[in-house]
Amino acid sequence: MSSAPKKRGSRIEPFRHRVETDPNFFDKSWRKLHDAIREIYNHNASGLSFEELYRTAYNMVLHKHGPKLYEHLTANLKEHLEEMRTSIEAAQGGLFLEELQRKWDEHNKALQMIRDILMYMDRTYILTNKKTPVFDLGLELWRDTIVRSSMIQGRLLDTLLELIHRERMGEVINRSLMRSTTKMLMDLGSSVYQEDFERPFLEVSASFYSGESQQFIECCACGEYLKQAERRLNEESERVTQYMDMKTGEKITAVVVKEMLANHMQRLILMENSGLVNMLVEDRYEDLTRMYSLFHHVAEGHSTIRSVMASHIKETGKSLVTDPERLKDPVDFVQRLLNEKDKYDNIINVSFSNDKSFLNALNSSFENFINLNNRSPEFISLFVDDKLRKGVKEASEEDLETILDKVMMLFRYLQEKDLFEKYYKQHLAKRLLSGKAASDDSERSMLVKLKTECGYQFTSKLEGMFTDLKTSHDTTQNFYAASSSDATDAPTISVQILTTGSWPTQPCSTCNLPPEILAVSEKFRAFYLGTHNGRRLTWQTNMGTADIKATFGNGSKHELNVSTYQMCVLMLFNSADALTYREIEQATAIPAADLKRCLQSLALVKGKQVLRKEPMSRDISDDDSFCVNDKFTSKLFKVKIGTVVAQKETDPEKLETRQRVEEDRKPQIEAAIVRIMKSRRVLDHNSIMTEVTKQLQPRFLPNPVVIKKRIESLIEREFLERDKTDRKLYRYLA
Amino acid sequence: MLIYKLGKGSREKVQQFMTITGASEKVALQALKASDWHLEGAFDFFYSQPQISAANTRRLEEMYNKYKEPDADMIMVEGVSQLCNDLHVDPQDIVMLVISWHMKAATMCEFTRQEFIGGLQSIGVDSIEKLREKLPSLRAELKDDHKFREIYNFTFNWAREKGQKSLSLETAIGMWQLLFAERQWPLLDHWCEFLQVRHNKTISRDTWTQLLEFVKSIDPQLSNYDEEGAWPYLIDEFVEYLIENGFVQRK
Repeated sequence: MSSAPKKRGSRIEPFRHRVETDPNFFDKSWRKLHDAIREIYNHNASGLSFEELYRTAYNMVLHKHGPKLYEHLTANLKEHLEEMRTSIEAAQGGLFLEELQRKWDEHNKALQMIRDILMYMDRTYILTNKKTPVFDLGLELWRDTIVRSSMIQGRLLDTLLELIHRERMGEVINRSLMRSTTKMLMDLGSSVYQEDFERPFLEVSASFYSGESQQFIECCACGEYLKQAERRLNEESERVTQYMDMKTGEKITAVVVKEMLANHMQRLILMENSGLVNMLVEDRYEDLTRMYSLFHHVAEGHSTIRSVMASHIKETGKSLVTDPERLKDPVDFVQRLLNEKDKYDNIINVSFSNDKSFLNALNSSFENFINLNNRSPEFISLFVDDKLRKGVKEASEEDLETILDKVMMLFRYLQEKDLFEKYYKQHLAKRLLSGKAASDDSERSMLVKLKTECGYQFTSKLEGMFTDLKTSHDTTQNFYAASSSDATDAPTISVQILTTGSWPTQPCSTCNLPPEILAVSEKFRAFYLGTHNGRRLTWQTNMGTADIKATFGNGSKHELNVSTYQMCVLMLFNSADALTYREIEQATAIPAADLKRCLQSLALVKGKQVLRKEPMSRDISDDDSFCVNDKFTSKLFKVKIGTVVAQKETDPEKLETRQRVEEDRKPQIEAAIVRIMKSRRVLDHNSIMTEVTKQLQPRFLPNPVVIKKRIESLIEREFLERDKTDRKLYRYLA
Repeated sequence: MLIYKLGKGSREKVQQFMTITGASEKVALQALKASDWHLEGAFDFFYSQPQISAANTRRLEEMYNKYKEPDADMIMVEGVSQLCNDLHVDPQDIVMLVISWHMKAATMCEFTRQEFIGGLQSIGVDSIEKLREKLPSLRAELKDDHKFREIYNFTFNWAREKGQKSLSLETAIGMWQLLFAERQWPLLDHWCEFLQVRHNKTISRDTWTQLLEFVKSIDPQLSNYDEEGAWPYLIDEFVEYLIENGFVQRK
């Protein structure tokens, strides 16, 4: 034992674990990680200590080994991936995708763990040096080593496309595998997904559908084809939701639309016997709805459908209004127009979602063809006349209202509304005077509709007619009240006093009334003029009716309802057994044409032959003789002979009406010109023409030549003058 | 009186001037003075101012009285006929129209005192002989565009029947033939034919005035005719007529 004592103080010893000094520090640490990664890839991760590995990595980075670590990591990952690649490449046929998927899963899981271990590096070295983070690095390496490797890239794409093709052809494929594969691509980055899958997918789809559409269009009817297109669109849509990125949806839809619809649009819509026209004709709502919704996606799709529809309507409309068969029955004519309108209203409502542009096209088509026939105004008025005569006998009040509303739609299309007004007046007059207006309410309702549409002026005269009748009724009552004390075996009269101007003008003709009638009518006239000084009454003998009690030779008694003319003729036979035509003509002074018609209706109409004619021929010559038919029989007590019904006009009548309307238009045109010039003072020729046409449009379409003539007439009458320097300019002369 | 103060040469010039132009001495002196006693210049001066004369009013009255009706203060058909005779012109000669225009005559074949005398004054003559000599220059006035238009427009009112607003077709055609013979309008015959066949009614003033515009601005092949050109409808119909009958090509 030594005797020298050692002095021991406390001293601070530096860390024992001075890794720094260990030259093998990096290698040892790396070895740890390297082995750990290997275990991870070998699914042996459970035996590892996360904490230890994390610490190892941490220390490495702390001691400035970040770059080296990163490098080694990269290389290492690559090695593993190359192994995986070999395995994937070796997979046969259908197992290829599975193997790929499996390896991908493994890689992902591995990466997660590796990332966790190396998290410190992620947050420090990588961040400051702007390196790719560990996880992303792993993905990139996967992408480059596997997905884009020469052996795999092509094969992967081909496999995917092959499967999609098979599914399109009807096979069932493994969708979840597809989903995970595309998801893998998406995870690798949207550009990878787009470059490596989406773009080629869209190209291949385009040629697939190009081929399919070509095939189908050769052998399918339009409806069938559209069904197929719809089916494919839905299918592709569903496919995308099942195993592709959402954004691919609209792209593939666009491809299908282009290949199946846009490229064949004209051919489909115009397809003979099955295209749009055929669908319209046969009211194929389902097909039409499908077509409308499919072509929504195509540029000009709807406008094409719309214009084909419009041309078709115009064409059928045109043939309808110019068909001579149709023109024989005005009521039927209008009914067919209403039916057409209803048909298309329905189609547009059901199949075209009440699309406003389609409704507009419908309206302008109707407006176009309805005016091709210049009798349309007359016929529409006749239709209304027919309905108002039948009133609620044929249809309920509501139905009648609906029908009239629909007729008003047709009315709006008319260019010559003033012509309609003239006819409506004529027909209304006949209805009112013959007592054939079935429902006063419906008549009034129609007037209100016209007033709403055209304004007060249009209907004021028509309303005047109603007022006249009411007043006449009161006047007649007053007449009888005033003369109740007089002899009562005089015939009873009911008088309708028509204000000239409200009623359509009728030419008045001669007629010798039987003395009894004459007496009472003059009495009435005196009574009326007694209370209405300064007025003038003219009997309209061509418009009246009479009820006569007749006793025939065979004893039969009847009450005959006849026209005034017929009454005059029949009364003659009270004082003569037989009369020649000439004698009748002289006695009654009725104009020849009317008289002949009158005699024909009394003597030649089966079942109504109250007179006998010799000879029995149709024509009436001067010496033909007439006498009472004593063998006349009828099942009814009251017999109606020769009611006056509003007929469509004969050609000469038509011409006359049109001439009158043209005459009426002249002052209207002049008034418009004066109005315009008064406010503008100076205006050029073309502007006047445009303005006048615009102003008169609610009533009629003025003829430019007529406008010109009116301008010249106004110049002549010094309302206007031409400008001295510019002969195209007109001036208003105050 | 002034003539005494002139030299012989000047006096001769005045004589010459008066003989050629038929103007009065006063007028001759005025014209020669204005042209510095150059005869040519004096003629130019004179012919550009037809109204410079102060013709002898008495002589004019005498002239008037010669032609006027015995029992009315008007020159009527017979007087006009006589006048034409004295002038050695046909009553249908267009120069009569020019003269009537100068006179601002209200109606064809009638002249009031005022019209006759005033007209002759404005022409610058006071005798038949002078008027006769003036005829060529009066005819020449038709060549002037501006004057022609005035004469043309004057014709409408002048040729009308009294109290009528429009011109009868027959008269209008006669007048047009007269007027446009001077102007050489190629479509004249077609126009008259058209009116007789298709129109057969009177002619309004607007149509009359616009026709001249038409003649002046639209070429006979109608290449610059514009349908929207605010022409009277009668002219539009005329164009249609020409096209229908193949006289011009449709554009």
